[in-house]
Amino acid sequence: MTSVIHDIGYRHYDGPRLGRSYAVRSLFLHNLRAAYGLGRPAKTKIMPFFLFVIMLLPAAISVAVTALASSIGSGQPVELIRYSAYAIYLQAPIAIFLAAQAPVLVSRDLRFHVLPLYFSRPLSRMDYVLAKFGALATAMFILVGTPITILFVGALATKQKHLGTHALHYAGGLGGCLILALVLAGLGLVVSAFTPRRGFGVTAVMAVYLISTAAVGAVQGIAENQTNFTIARWAGIFTPFDLVDGVQVWALRAKVSSPEPPPSGIGGPVFTLACAAVVAGSLAILFLRFRKAGAQ
Amino acid sequence: MSTIAYITFRGMLGRRRALLLFALPAVLLLLSIGLRLTGNADLDTATALLTQFGLGALLPLLALLAGTGVISPEIDDGQIMYLMTKPIARPVISTTKYLVAVVLVIGFGVVPIFISAVIMNGLTAGLATGFALGALVGGIAYCALFIAIAVVSRFAVTIGLIYALVWENLLARYAAGAKTLSIRQWAISITDLTTNATAVTSDVHGSTAVPLLVALTAIGVLFAGWKLRTLSITGTD
Amino acid sequence: MSVLELRDVSRWYGNVVAVNGVTMTVGPGVTGLLGPNGAGKSTLIHMMGGFLSPSNGQVGIDGQRIWKNPSVYRHIGLVPEREAAYDFLTGRQFIRSMAKLHKLPQPGAAADRALGMVEMLPPADRAIGTYSKGMKQRVKMASALVHDPAVLLLDEPFNGMDPRQRLQLMDLIRKMAAEGRTVLFSSHILEEVERLAHHIEVIVAGRHAASGDFRAIRRLMTDRPHMFAIRSSDDRRLAAALIADASTRGVELTASGLAVEAVDFRRFAQLLPQVARTADIRLLEVSPADESLESVFSYLVAS
Repeated sequence: MTSVIHDIGYRHYDGPRLGRSYAVRSLFLHNLRAAYGLGRPAKTKIMPFFLFVIMLLPAAISVAVTALASSIGSGQPVELIRYSAYAIYLQAPIAIFLAAQAPVLVSRDLRFHVLPLYFSRPLSRMDYVLAKFGALATAMFILVGTPITILFVGALATKQKHLGTHALHYAGGLGGCLILALVLAGLGLVVSAFTPRRGFGVTAVMAVYLISTAAVGAVQGIAENQTNFTIARWAGIFTPFDLVDGVQVWALRAKVSSPEPPPSGIGGPVFTLACAAVVAGSLAILFLRFRKAGAQ
Repeated sequence: MSTIAYITFRGMLGRRRALLLFALPAVLLLLSIGLRLTGNADLDTATALLTQFGLGALLPLLALLAGTGVISPEIDDGQIMYLMTKPIARPVISTTKYLVAVVLVIGFGVVPIFISAVIMNGLTAGLATGFALGALVGGIAYCALFIAIAVVSRFAVTIGLIYALVWENLLARYAAGAKTLSIRQWAISITDLTTNATAVTSDVHGSTAVPLLVALTAIGVLFAGWKLRTLSITGTD
Repeated sequence: MSVLELRDVSRWYGNVVAVNGVTMTVGPGVTGLLGPNGAGKSTLIHMMGGFLSPSNGQVGIDGQRIWKNPSVYRHIGLVPEREAAYDFLTGRQFIRSMAKLHKLPQPGAAADRALGMVEMLPPADRAIGTYSKGMKQRVKMASALVHDPAVLLLDEPFNGMDPRQRLQLMDLIRKMAAEGRTVLFSSHILEEVERLAHHIEVIVAGRHAASGDFRAIRRLMTDRPHMFAIRSSDDRRLAAALIADASTRGVELTASGLAVEAVDFRRFAQLLPQVARTADIRLLEVSPADESLESVFSYLVAS
């Protein structure tokens, strides 16, 4: 008896296929939503939303206080928090958000070995990396950009003086937020991509932030005591927030918010180059990591 | 009990965790060596480094790594079932793991802090012993807190981070009440009691800190043991 | 110490009821816990193993409660479906640790004996992370056997085993049961249960659907007609004679004989030889066509 497969009506799908760009877009959107816990169980929404609210509170309070002061007419101008300084002051919740959510995007795929599934679709390794990176960077940008938008809207609403300058500073602040989002997303993803365990990834990202910030802070404090400002200024390159602030100060002409501005002269360009290097380097490391992780 | 400790140690010293466990104190040691070599290691500087970096960053991070790492992965993967299906009281399991965490914090935190202080100042003013003792009691309390959270929640690490960073760093700076309830401040006050270096000042008095430390440690360890008795393993993510 | 008792056990998660009012007794010998996926078998085994508390009802072994009672684990060995053993330990270290945790007097010897029983002695000094799926399953089995328990609970134990390992495990289970132990294993693969279990418990959608020997269960299903395949010297005349009686609902002439649908088993069983003798027809082959566990099971699930 010969074996045969009967035609029982099974058809190949011949219809339109949405193609690679659709796949990348969908991956990007899915991960962006996952960074805020949307589309996932309720428990995963608590942390990101809690941190998001913490981010908004100072901005809201600042606007309320300003509105109150101007309505009372206290005579003294009450200033809102500076746009470019907001993210630097609120480092801690931003870092926690990054530490908590970067592993959510990356560690789960590694732990449950779904990478071969992803890569058997018209999705190249670089597409995957860029989609994840873009999603986390966008999530971070929303996190830091929303509060300063509230500040700006508050400035408009309470009819602050020099609205034109406000608008300029706001735009500059947004630019700084964008750079910060890119740098943080790169660092967070790189550290998380090396462990399939979410809890350990959180600790590792946090450790990188905390140790770099504390070490740089210690060095800066000591250098300032010795009035060795050059070292204090260069030290800022080793921690993401000071690094981005340095770029803000030099490229976007903002006022300095971190303990020390970048060194004058070549400091600014070097900081900017370092930022670019961090982002590019992170993408490269992620690409190499996921090139061989497909088989794991 | 020693078998549980053996399994827990073997689990904690796997490749990636060990990397972090070694790297964190290494940064402290490098910094202190650098300070000593550049002649900047006076008492004030050393105190600043040990307080902010040692007690403020290294210690809570290590305690988080150890305190959650000794039990959370096993609960997540369900492997804790192998310990729970034995004729052993559940509190024995959690307390043994707690002790393993404390030993790790001592080895990778307290000892490097002591060595770092000695590198910078030798044994002057009892600074080294002071910080070592402060780190010891701080580590004991941190581990108790984190292991209690780890038994209850899958998000123990993030919760622990929010405590260590938002509560102890941000809020405690602005609210005096938060300062009294901060393990870091209790550790500093113990250091202050032990050392007679004037550079060390604490905002919480020793008579407040000591009972709070003991209370938190006891509550944390007992709670972890109690909660483990009713732990359900459903084996899902 | 050998009898597991469940009394009106229920377990729910919010609005979802996983197990609904199950009462059963599991005694010495091999019992198969049978049910489709998602029926609640794992939940039941987890409750019997003390990992989940029943939302209602009691789970006990020889009168002692299992939940929150660690001392009862001296007598229970559990092989979970999912939970993997510690990857970083070798097989021998793992089993020896288990033996020490059970406070056995000679942990090394007990470990080697347990490893020998599951034929894992040669690779015992390799890390468990390097084992294949079947080897990991056997190591888990060894961890459940090391303390010589009276009760063995196995959650889908044949998962991932190749045919040879499956036969070995079946032999091991039979041996355990012959020594007087209570062995309960869950499965949704009917051939395994059919071959191994004397006694089956069927769980469907969280409810206890049936209990006992599957042939006896089949007899109890009086509202379903029994199918027989009969070959005789004259099928057509036999068919005519059979259909004349009320105990036969339908008769079909097929190329390989007669397919008879009998609604009254007992009456039909008496009727058939009488009819054959009266009509002088020789019966060549009479076999029940739906007394396999599979058909029993499908009837139970369908109801």
